[in-house]
Amino acid sequence: MSEVTLLIASLAAATLVIRLGGYYLGAALPQSGPIARGLKALPGTLITALVTLQLINGGVNEWIAGAAALAIAIATRSLPLTMLAGIVTIYALRNGF
Amino acid sequence: MPLPAEFRQGLRDIAPLALGVALYGLAFGLLAAQAGMDGLQTGIMGATVFTGSAQFVAVERLAAGATALTALVAGIALNLRMVLITASLRDVLAGQPFWKVALGVHLTTDESWALLHATRAAGRPAGYWYLVGAGFGVFAAWIAATVAGASFAHSIPEPRALGIDFAFAAAFIAILRGLWRGRRDAAPWLVAAATVVALRLGTTLEPSWALVAGGVLGAAVAAFGGRDV
Repeated sequence: MSEVTLLIASLAAATLVIRLGGYYLGAALPQSGPIARGLKALPGTLITALVTLQLINGGVNEWIAGAAALAIAIATRSLPLTMLAGIVTIYALRNGF
Repeated sequence: MPLPAEFRQGLRDIAPLALGVALYGLAFGLLAAQAGMDGLQTGIMGATVFTGSAQFVAVERLAAGATALTALVAGIALNLRMVLITASLRDVLAGQPFWKVALGVHLTTDESWALLHATRAAGRPAGYWYLVGAGFGVFAAWIAATVAGASFAHSIPEPRALGIDFAFAAAFIAILRGLWRGRRDAAPWLVAAATVVALRLGTTLEPSWALVAGGVLGAAVAAFGGRDV
């Protein structure tokens, strides 16, 4: 078996186990109290961590574009408009407008 | 059997994100071609693994000359955060038969999962078929784009030059806006962000571990600092 085939098969199996494992773990945890509050807060904290990581990996251009995207998100609550604002701003900054 | 209305709604709502996924997928296809993969292998990998960032890292390792085992470990490390993602799908998947749970979690990505929570936070109905519809949109875009990228590797512009790499940061900012529930989110989110900054700037920890630590510590603040609502 080639390295590529081996990688695809093993990574596919491992990923499905991780995805299913997460669900069954979450389902086995208590439905109220601290753990439940933590699980409920998880989407927000995880996405905050993700955005923070993306902004750290970038530089000043990414921070300005992030601020522009945030302003549009607060004003419009629109996903496509926010994406557009972020992409247009970063494109303009990188190409020296 | 006609598709449930929520499936179609999820598919519609994910469209702008699926476009971003398609552009990211083209970039992955280019990398896969560099690692010596053809269109068929790329398509099979996309359909069976179906996690953008882990595929990227694993195939990058392979292209850099690493063994399949090293590439696998790198991909798994990046995918561990999926445990947290599918763990928060309890409301959507509980009580479903195994095949529907398996289908639901396999189609779950950062994008479809975040969209599901943002839609629910906005007070709109989003259940199992919404998740599957949104996930299917990402799936179709990912397969089509990665296969095209691997097959036509020579005639595609570099995505970073177009600013496309920033599409996801902007999308997640919009989704955060939708998830914001008021002041009780301030401390958990701040701790999540501060943890990532501290770990990235102060240590040599892998970025994906900083991400998991930030998400978990932030959630812990919500768990032990708040009240049930």
